[in-house]
Amino acid sequence: MNASEQDDYLERIKDEIRAEADVARHRDPLPRADPPARSIPEAKSASAGVPIERERLDYALSDLTGIHYIAFVDNAFRALLKREPDEGGSHAQIRLLASGASKAEILGNLRWSREGKHVGARVHGLLPRYAIAKLARVPVLGYLVEWAIAFAGLAVMLRHQRAADTSTAAGFHAARDTQARAESELRGLHSALGSEHAALVAGHAGLVAQHADSLVRQQALNDAHDRRTEQLTIDLRVAREQADVMRDHTHALDQRLHASSDELVQLRHLVHTVNHWLVSLQRSLDDLESAEAASSERTDALAALVDEGPDAAAARNERYRNWSSALMQRLPAESSVLDLASGDGLWLDLLMSHGLDASGIEANVALVERTRAGGAAISVGDAMTALARCNDASLDGITLGRAALPDDRSGIDRLTREIGRVLKPGGLLLARIESEPFRIEPQGASIMDARRWSAVFAAAGFAPAQVLPADGGIAVLTTRP
Amino acid sequence: MLVPGLSPHDAVSNDARQMASVLRGANHEVRLFAPHARAIDDPVGTPEEIEGWLQSPRDLLIYHYCVGWEFALALLRRLRVRRIVRYHNITPPEFFEGWSPGYVSACAEGRAQLDAFARLDYDLVLGDSAFNIEDFTTRGVDPARCEVLAPFHEVDELRTIEADTRRVPLGSPLLLMVGRMSPNKGYLDLIESLAACVAGRARDARLLIIGKLDPNLARYGDAVTALIADRGLESRVTWLQDAGGAELRGAYERADALVMLSGHEGFCVPVVEAMALGTPVIALASSALPGTLGDAGLLWENADPHVIAESVARIADDAPLRNTLRQRGRERYESTFAPSVLGVRLLDIMQHRFAA
Repeated sequence: MNASEQDDYLERIKDEIRAEADVARHRDPLPRADPPARSIPEAKSASAGVPIERERLDYALSDLTGIHYIAFVDNAFRALLKREPDEGGSHAQIRLLASGASKAEILGNLRWSREGKHVGARVHGLLPRYAIAKLARVPVLGYLVEWAIAFAGLAVMLRHQRAADTSTAAGFHAARDTQARAESELRGLHSALGSEHAALVAGHAGLVAQHADSLVRQQALNDAHDRRTEQLTIDLRVAREQADVMRDHTHALDQRLHASSDELVQLRHLVHTVNHWLVSLQRSLDDLESAEAASSERTDALAALVDEGPDAAAARNERYRNWSSALMQRLPAESSVLDLASGDGLWLDLLMSHGLDASGIEANVALVERTRAGGAAISVGDAMTALARCNDASLDGITLGRAALPDDRSGIDRLTREIGRVLKPGGLLLARIESEPFRIEPQGASIMDARRWSAVFAAAGFAPAQVLPADGGIAVLTTRP
Repeated sequence: MLVPGLSPHDAVSNDARQMASVLRGANHEVRLFAPHARAIDDPVGTPEEIEGWLQSPRDLLIYHYCVGWEFALALLRRLRVRRIVRYHNITPPEFFEGWSPGYVSACAEGRAQLDAFARLDYDLVLGDSAFNIEDFTTRGVDPARCEVLAPFHEVDELRTIEADTRRVPLGSPLLLMVGRMSPNKGYLDLIESLAACVAGRARDARLLIIGKLDPNLARYGDAVTALIADRGLESRVTWLQDAGGAELRGAYERADALVMLSGHEGFCVPVVEAMALGTPVIALASSALPGTLGDAGLLWENADPHVIAESVARIADDAPLRNTLRQRGRERYESTFAPSVLGVRLLDIMQHRFAA
């Protein structure tokens, strides 16, 4: 980020803050701020306790010069500037005093400072003394003035000196009295100290006894500590042994983990092997299915080529003529008829020759192709699939060959229910039962004769069946009510 | 080098003593003079001794000008040596109107002397800031005879002290103000800003004030205390008048922002301390503050409490902004205000101005 981008960054932030502040100003307004009162504090004093007489502006010189050193300076600030002294100002005036300046000069400095003029206090007799003090600061002339003043005041100074001597002597006398009182107090204190010393000695003896008791307790604590240390040592040794056992156990686990790892590698290899075998097996099964399909095709082709012989063919032609004649007696011309398991198409051709709107279904592809070549309407498929594609009550008649009939009773029941659905009311069903005896499972050897076929159709809701016997088979003819 | 007073941890004293140290390191013979000195290791002479100590016209007097002082003015008029005025600025008396007549008088006298000081024929006016220099250039002093040198300080010492946070309040965000309690420091605006924080998004805000109150400004202290009570902020404001270096360090470490709403600063060392110690700064763009803070903090044209409060909340919530301000502060300190930088700058000035 260069300098310009940095500036932009902060300006963008500040714009956002301004916007947020505007929202906050309306959302959370502050109470109206009353300006705090500004005035001179009444009794705020840095030093203890002495109030400033703010109203008083008239002083005698002796009102201000009767006290000394720091108290004098502090009092001068309060009287002439009406405030507590600040550290710098106070220090400067004390330094002047210490360098030999007169009190009148200090007072004059404060009174005629800018601040002092503003206050305007009046001190009687200060002005001439201040002027003389300032005059004394003038080189040479000031020195002469000081000498002149000192010479003129010698008599007064001598009187002051004698008074001072008397005052000093009185002070010494008072000091001696004070000293005597102090010595007396000291003796009293000494006596009291002696008593306190005796009490301290007694206290010391008590402390010694307590110390001895403490030593006994300390010994007991030491013993307990030793015992505890010994127990801890034992615990530590046990813990170390347990740690060794854990270490061995961990080592054994590591070894087992290593072995398991090897086993896992072997297992993975086995899984790969089994997987490879399964893939090979799948390919083999695919090959077998292909071979089976090819075989089925060949079987169908062979079945289509088999000739039944002249006698059997003559018998079948005779049977079909009789059965078709019986059928045509009940069906008008151009009735719609579906033949299930049409075989070589001989029966279907016969139905078509009678002027019926007949079509057939056959599973053998070779037979279907041959029949279709003869001009018949026939498709490849099984009986249940062909019926499922027909609408309810859409056919006048259904005929079926032996191959359309299932080998079990439940399959036969499903087939007859489906035929009942597709036939129109009054529609005909003709089942051709030819060649060898028809058996159904699971009863095993149950041979379906004419009586049983009639019972089956009756159970499916058809009318009582008519059996049409012939050479080489029977036909069962019935009607949907 | 003449100073109105010397004491430990005082900004002008720090500047004078470290300037002396740098100049001694360059083989100059340097002596400090002050009317009073407290707990200072350096030998200090009285101001009356200066005239006896300066012997040659090639000798140099550096006067640290921060209060009105007739003695210094008379001395500078009298001496026939080379002279530098090291100007730290004097607060305008208007700030103290109604709070302390003593301060009004002292500041008025100090600033009244500016005209007299400006008329003296200096070799150099050395200001803490460009803002300070303006006091002389607007009075006719040739800008070519003026230089800016930020004051020396004790920030590096502060960085080495182990922080003491025992008295630093817990709270987020924590606002910090460092400076004596004086009307020019904007404490009333600061309290209003804290109130806006609490009323707004920064409801757990706390304020830590580190600064002494001069008894002569007790009236102002009372006003600040009364405003705190009026806004119901007593439990949110901690005021330490006796904090040492370790506590100051702890305060900078824990604070979310230094909030400096001063209306008048000649330089403002606390801002430099905050930059060096990685504390983001929110400041009023007054007097010397823009020059000291530069682009290392959030500067505002006025002390709008809502703007200040939102600034605090934004810094507390916006980590990238916080990190940017910290980084800029540290970079500005190292490049501009580190003692080594100031030392080189001082010696360059001396070489350039007085080599001949």
